[in-house]
Amino acid sequence: MKQLLKINIENLEETEKIGYILGKLLTGGEVICMTGDLGAGKTTMTQSIAKGLDVEDYVTSPTFTIINEYEGRCPLYHFDVYRINDVDEMYDLGYEEYFYSKGVSIIEWADIIKEILPKERLNIEIKKNDSIEGREIIIHGNGERYINLIDFLSKEIHR
Amino acid sequence: MKVLAIDTSSMSATCAIIDDDKLLVEYTLNHKLTHSQKIMPIIKEALQSCNLKPEDIDVFAVAKGPGSFTGLRIGVATVNGLAQSVSKRVVGVSTLDALAFNLPYCEGLIVPIMDARRDRVFTGIYKWVNGNLHIIKEQKALEVKELIETLIERPEKIVFVGDGTLVYKDTLFDALGEKCLFAPRSANMARASSVAELAMVKANEGQTESFFELAPDYLRESQAQREYNEKHSLIGDKNE
Repeated sequence: MKQLLKINIENLEETEKIGYILGKLLTGGEVICMTGDLGAGKTTMTQSIAKGLDVEDYVTSPTFTIINEYEGRCPLYHFDVYRINDVDEMYDLGYEEYFYSKGVSIIEWADIIKEILPKERLNIEIKKNDSIEGREIIIHGNGERYINLIDFLSKEIHR
Repeated sequence: MKVLAIDTSSMSATCAIIDDDKLLVEYTLNHKLTHSQKIMPIIKEALQSCNLKPEDIDVFAVAKGPGSFTGLRIGVATVNGLAQSVSKRVVGVSTLDALAFNLPYCEGLIVPIMDARRDRVFTGIYKWVNGNLHIIKEQKALEVKELIETLIERPEKIVFVGDGTLVYKDTLFDALGEKCLFAPRSANMARASSVAELAMVKANEGQTESFFELAPDYLRESQAQREYNEKHSLIGDKNE
């Protein structure tokens, strides 16, 4: 079972809006994988999801810490695995404690650790297009939970 | 001799101080995984309540694993740091040994189980023989169904203890029935008093370490085991 949602957006505010709505819909235990080039807006999207999760702290990119943890409606684990060279390092990190927890895990550059991502998850791909701020956001999910999530998200966005 | 022990390997953040005669103080907080914020104030409170300073402690002890990787790092780093500040020795105690020790002189088998996620537990099998706690099956990360297969043959009563019971109680009871028992709430979590007690034994036998040497014992699955799991598609979607 798969589900796909494509959204073309024209500016940063729209990315923020989608992230916020998504964050509001999360209940804990979700794994969200984010891919996209440098500057595509992965961190902006994460910050907005965090807002939707009622995280009050300022969310910054964990490029050097690899994982940052925030308290919101449920815990938010923000991963940036750009500097991970080998999935073995993810085992050292104890990633299972986070991916399979009651918190929300958001993973930037998730394609680097493909082998160990849970089968059921939400994927968000952010693609740049010809205009400076324009983006194509492709959201797809595996598993019933994420298919329902995309359904809700699509209804909320188009409302 | 005074031993200060902590355990941050699971949900419980716990600190205890014992001397040769008794438990002086034990402080256990079993609410939310916020050990990096909670454990130092708990240690401070425990020391101050007994009018003790870090330099009054002879040995610093920690539950060194298995358990939450992050929790183990917090615990080991905290204890190593404290010991270094007052130039004292440290002792690492197995988290599972300490959990089993929560049930002194209990009959049958004691099986501590800690949730290792995805239907696996960190576990070992223990038994009291003539007042000594023996380990009869080495500590391992096992799938719950493998653990059940091992236990189903045993004639003894089996007492489960640890946070794994919060997740797998029904599964265990369905498979093992009347012969399984579950530790009461007061014993069903990491308690630093048990860590301290086992550390005292080790310290008396001279089995202390330098704070430069003590490291967490993650009890990680071997790479071979992980590859086996992947092959049997317990995780991952390489072929997608």
